[in-house]
Amino acid sequence: MVRIPTNLILRARKKSSLLPLLLKPCKTIDSAEQELRWIQNELPQNQWLKACYLRSNNVPLQYILGSQPFGDLNIKCKKDVLIPRWETEEYTLKLVDQLRSIKESLKIIDICTGTGCIPLLLGSKLKNSSVKGIDVSEKAILLSNENKVLNSIPNVEFRSGDVFDANIVQEKYDIVVSNPPYISADDFKSSSTEISVRLYEPKLALVGGNEFYTALVNNVLLSTDAEGFLFEIGYTHQYKHTRNLLNLNQWNTCLYFDSAGNARAIIGWKKGSKMQILENIR
Amino acid sequence: MRFQRFNSDFTEPEEFKEIHPTLLKRAEILSKELHELEVEISKGTGGFDINQQTKFSNLSSVVDVYDDYSKKLSSYKELQSLLEDESLKEEAALEIETCLPVLVNVTEKLKAKLLPPHPFADKPSILELRPGVGGVEAMIFANDLLNMYTGYASSNRWKYSLISKTLNQSGNGILEAIVSIEEPGSYDRLRFESGVHRVQRIPETESKGRTQTSTAAVVVLPQMSDKLLPEDADERSFAQGEVRIDVMRASGKGGQHVNTTESAVRLTHIPSGIVVSMQDERSQHKNKAKAFTILRARLAERERQVHEEEERKKRTDQVSSTDRSDKIRTYNFPQNRITDHRCGYSVHDVDSIMSGEKLDQLIDELHKHESQIKSKNLLEELEKGL
Repeated sequence: MVRIPTNLILRARKKSSLLPLLLKPCKTIDSAEQELRWIQNELPQNQWLKACYLRSNNVPLQYILGSQPFGDLNIKCKKDVLIPRWETEEYTLKLVDQLRSIKESLKIIDICTGTGCIPLLLGSKLKNSSVKGIDVSEKAILLSNENKVLNSIPNVEFRSGDVFDANIVQEKYDIVVSNPPYISADDFKSSSTEISVRLYEPKLALVGGNEFYTALVNNVLLSTDAEGFLFEIGYTHQYKHTRNLLNLNQWNTCLYFDSAGNARAIIGWKKGSKMQILENIR
Repeated sequence: MRFQRFNSDFTEPEEFKEIHPTLLKRAEILSKELHELEVEISKGTGGFDINQQTKFSNLSSVVDVYDDYSKKLSSYKELQSLLEDESLKEEAALEIETCLPVLVNVTEKLKAKLLPPHPFADKPSILELRPGVGGVEAMIFANDLLNMYTGYASSNRWKYSLISKTLNQSGNGILEAIVSIEEPGSYDRLRFESGVHRVQRIPETESKGRTQTSTAAVVVLPQMSDKLLPEDADERSFAQGEVRIDVMRASGKGGQHVNTTESAVRLTHIPSGIVVSMQDERSQHKNKAKAFTILRARLAERERQVHEEEERKKRTDQVSSTDRSDKIRTYNFPQNRITDHRCGYSVHDVDSIMSGEKLDQLIDELHKHESQIKSKNLLEELEKGL
């Protein structure tokens, strides 16, 4: 825990009495001011103090404000469902760019959908596709359906299902997308996971590992006859593990890095199929 | 409509000069073109063509003024010939007195229409405001200017949105503001606002009642992309590798490990070195789209300035209405006067200019001034060419 210097607190108090509360999660005055502006823009004045107080206890800003922008959508966020991350937004938009070039209508499935952000953004940009989102948590399914209504996107559907269930999907799909829990149990306890994530976001959506990638490949990818996939990852060994599950005579894979330079996803496509275009995602 | 002129250093040229025949030839060509287009449209074979329609309305707006001019000119000439008749002389002189100003007005209008239009005349615009010298007072003045332009936009019923606004510490002024005015053609009206604006008044921060001079800088940029296109249209207009995109994020594992709200984006245009940062939105995606809009606008404006500079070098004449002279306008509050230094025009009504309601009065004057200079230059070129 980093100690905040007293003079920083005094300087912040000069600007606004609420600002020192935000210094704890934000560390610098600039980013604290930015968060205060967002709080003041989006909430009525009688909730500002409460919001800043919650924030000083490391409650994620997205839960306090109740939303997170995702592409041009506004995704409602609630306790017990993972907040969409910017890295996810980034590769989803890149995926849209590539899938746009395929003229025929696509069937897309997203496993561990959470708020439903990935299927909703894909569905809103690829109007003639049909997208399915599956999550094991009932709360996530309720919230993702709420988000579907809020953003009025008709070509997306959500239902519950467990990725470890061998019969999770019966239908055929063209492409599988997933952002499964991937933080290792050790990292979850250490400082490499932010305190607000650890305290307030659902562990169910965060802690996991190779077993998820095994289940995704065996229970979803191979049983749906999909020709392409994109799975978000947290570590490069998850890339290697997933790649080793595939028949490399049929499949090509690549490791995708986000714009902060972290290994962020494994992307795969069947050689010679229409999903070959996924190799253009950089 | 005529405006009263105060404190002005040149008088209205009430004497009338016919438009140069070479310029008029252009008008004749345009009216012939309009006629051909009319025939084509009346045949109605091609169905509704939006390009044809815009061309039609553009042409007819010029030709209407041209017809008006020809009519007024012939009646003026008739009156002139009547002057020789002793019995009608007095009446004709009276008549001329009333119709001459109208004719002068139409002539100016036609001249402006015949000049080649500004390359970005039909574009929406982006305004950037920053305080200059004068400390907090300059920040307050920059904020006043911001209110003037937003007031001007609302009085014209133009849609506008604040792209970013950074308040100063005490919250009474701005450190920077960027406004997007979505109305097509707003660039043509506002482009004269680019430059340094000077204010002379007793600042609200001044306790001893002394007058202070401060400045604020305004930059007007053309908005290059169509609002109907997807919001990443600006980004797509750049080649890959031309722009470096930096997201400002702490090092670490990222992804599910963190949920920070940092969404700042910085663009560096490598060939020109222009840097644009944007951080106001919670969405990184939106920040990036806005930054690209501004980057593209800045590049377009820069290119235009380079082009204009080259054009000017070709001429011996150094006068220009859009050069970046050190100050373009003074707002003198004690004297209730606003003077534009480029055309030497003054208005004695600070309040209704600063609210944006009467800004049109100044802008009209600047347009007139520019078309006078431009038509002079064009004629010189045409004469040289003959």
